[in-house]
Amino acid sequence: MPFILGCAGALLTAFYMTRQVALVFFGHYRGHAEESGHGHAEAHESHHGHDHTPHESPAVMAVPLIILAVFALLLGFIGTPAWPWFDGYLSGEAVHFDFSKLTESGTLILMVTSAVIVFTGLTLGWVLYGRRQRQTAEEKDVLEAAQPVVFTVLQNKYYIDEIYEATVIRLNAVAAVFCDILDRWVFGGAVLLVTYLALGSAWLYRLMDEYLVNLGFDTGCESFRGSGGWLSKLQTGRVQTYLRVIGVALVVLVLILIWGPKA
Amino acid sequence: MNHSLTILTLVPLLGGVVVAAAGPARKNFVRLLALIISLITFIGALCLWTHYDASAGDLQFVEKVDWIPSLGIQYYLGIDGLGLLMVMLTALVTPLAILVSWSMDDRPHIYHGLILFLQAGLLGTFTALSFFHWFMFWELGLIPAFFLVKLWGGPNRGPAAMQFFIYTMVGSVALLLSFLAIWLATHSFDFITLKGMAHDGTLAAKLHATFGWKNVGLIVFLGAFLGFAVKVPVVPFHTWLPATYSEAPSAVTMLLTGVMSKMGVYGFLRILLPIFPDQIRLVLTPLLWLAVATIVLSACAAFAQRDLKRILAYSSVNHLGYCLLAMFAAVSAAANVHQPDLQKAAALDGVLLQMFNHGLTASALFLFVALIERRSGGLRGLNDFGGLRKVVPVFTGLMGIALFSSLGLPGLNGFVGEFLVFKGVFPLAPWAAAVSTIGLLVTAIFLLTLIQRVFCGPLNQRWAQFPDLTTAERWLVVPSIALMFILGVWPQLILGMIDPTVMKLVHSISL
Repeated sequence: MPFILGCAGALLTAFYMTRQVALVFFGHYRGHAEESGHGHAEAHESHHGHDHTPHESPAVMAVPLIILAVFALLLGFIGTPAWPWFDGYLSGEAVHFDFSKLTESGTLILMVTSAVIVFTGLTLGWVLYGRRQRQTAEEKDVLEAAQPVVFTVLQNKYYIDEIYEATVIRLNAVAAVFCDILDRWVFGGAVLLVTYLALGSAWLYRLMDEYLVNLGFDTGCESFRGSGGWLSKLQTGRVQTYLRVIGVALVVLVLILIWGPKA
Repeated sequence: MNHSLTILTLVPLLGGVVVAAAGPARKNFVRLLALIISLITFIGALCLWTHYDASAGDLQFVEKVDWIPSLGIQYYLGIDGLGLLMVMLTALVTPLAILVSWSMDDRPHIYHGLILFLQAGLLGTFTALSFFHWFMFWELGLIPAFFLVKLWGGPNRGPAAMQFFIYTMVGSVALLLSFLAIWLATHSFDFITLKGMAHDGTLAAKLHATFGWKNVGLIVFLGAFLGFAVKVPVVPFHTWLPATYSEAPSAVTMLLTGVMSKMGVYGFLRILLPIFPDQIRLVLTPLLWLAVATIVLSACAAFAQRDLKRILAYSSVNHLGYCLLAMFAAVSAAANVHQPDLQKAAALDGVLLQMFNHGLTASALFLFVALIERRSGGLRGLNDFGGLRKVVPVFTGLMGIALFSSLGLPGLNGFVGEFLVFKGVFPLAPWAAAVSTIGLLVTAIFLLTLIQRVFCGPLNQRWAQFPDLTTAERWLVVPSIALMFILGVWPQLILGMIDPTVMKLVHSISL
């Protein structure tokens, strides 16, 4: 089963690579129509001064590409069954060149199958995209015309992003809002409650101080003050008042001596 | 006797007095003086670092004098790997905070004086080994922080400062009551003696004998726990933090998040873990839940914030949550765990690294926010910017490094601490570690969102003239950024200093 799936993958790889090469490099140039239609001038803002007509890459890009291409061509040869140098390097075993290994039955079938798959993919891609080139960039893909539903699903990457958006990302956002609310209203509310409790008790204590403690104290003070004021009238410091009191007292004393009880 | 620790604390304390007394007229003189004092402290801390014998891992530079013999109170100082690391962090962040508030023009003599007082409070806390003066410095750190927020903060500074003060004060009072109970039972304020008593069981016996109640140890622990839980902070005692961090001037936020939040974790490591390991084991599951809640809730809440400072504030809570997780897991009985001491040591090594790394990274991030605010005229909303990378590439690059360090990118400092924390916690408390990884994921999401909204996308034309970092500003952030790389690839620089201390701690808290 994994072998078949792998073969299918290889077939599709060969197919879409051919499709890409055919669409990008073959046929006639469709870039001009693109230019005005899609307002992507903004996105290219930072690359001032580049015109949008295709041109050969500068050396800074071409040279690395050439190096990569050379290795892409040659690297396959260090792992062939005839001379598996890379296997030997990894396993540490000595490797000898043995051409007969290529024709061993298992190897041969595998090589043929692989070649057949690749060429099928290439042919399929060429038949669908290379032989009959599209005329405009907006033209529908041949697969889209034939299987619109499948094509849409593929175009939307099986909707995996949308599934994530609807599940994990939404969950995360909900959790964030939940925690924020928890923080603002539950924990913050508890703190606020304690604050108001403290304020309330402070207010209560103030009332008690003003109207219970102070009231009692104030009444006491008032009565002291009253009696003090009353007493102070006795001691005004005015000699006339004292003389008057002494005079009155004298008269009272005399009256008592005259009419008082006889001893 | 070696008096280096006393001197180290006195330099910023007296320096603060001198700076505050210099008066409002000589602004540049005041700033320069404050900077020089903080640099002297930094050099002092560096000297301690080089003279510290890391292989021993015990208390060094010890000063022990009888202070109030009738109450059994001593002036007792000393640092081990943990204290040294925190002293180093304090000494490192303070000059940066002073430099970033260079252009602050409102009563700089008081401002810088308060910053130096705050530093003295922090250094005093990290070096004290007797509860008596430890608590004095613990509170001394609070008062300048309150005034710095209250006088130089943002538009809602009044309520924020008040909330900060009352919250912390409530925690401190609970802590004080617990230690008074301990003193009544043992007549000792000395952390090291108490640790010994806890280890051989005399502390529990004495508490029981004094108060005649079996569970008094747990009550005493919960009181002390509250004091540190507010400071770290642990959800649900954290609501003061976003308000305070966002209202405080950015330099003060640097100190608050860079160093002051470490006071709480330090308290856990120096006091709660060694003195109350049995009580922690008793309520381990709820404590682990609290740690997990701290990690996950704060990360999710950060994602919902729209103010850069509040995002980073919640991110701070999240990062310290990993420390809590590891500390609680390290006390677990670990019955079926292979090589439990090794896992515990990894977790606690992670805690110490995380403390230092978070101090470094978070203070750098708030420094960047301060620079953004200075350029935008106070705007710091998540959606106020956009596309800044096109106009300020250097700024973007450097702040990006700090942000990636914060989300724990391998190769930068933030990764190592969190990795060790999870390496240690997974075998010790698998479910807690598993749930906590949600926090890691969400942290990455909201920090990347920050980068995306502020620096990427189309340029907000309003900021077309946004100035990039000046040379002076570059030099301001370069030390932090360099340390992020150095500690990311060479954490041994710190691990080598702390590992013996951590091993001793693991032995003292194990069953």
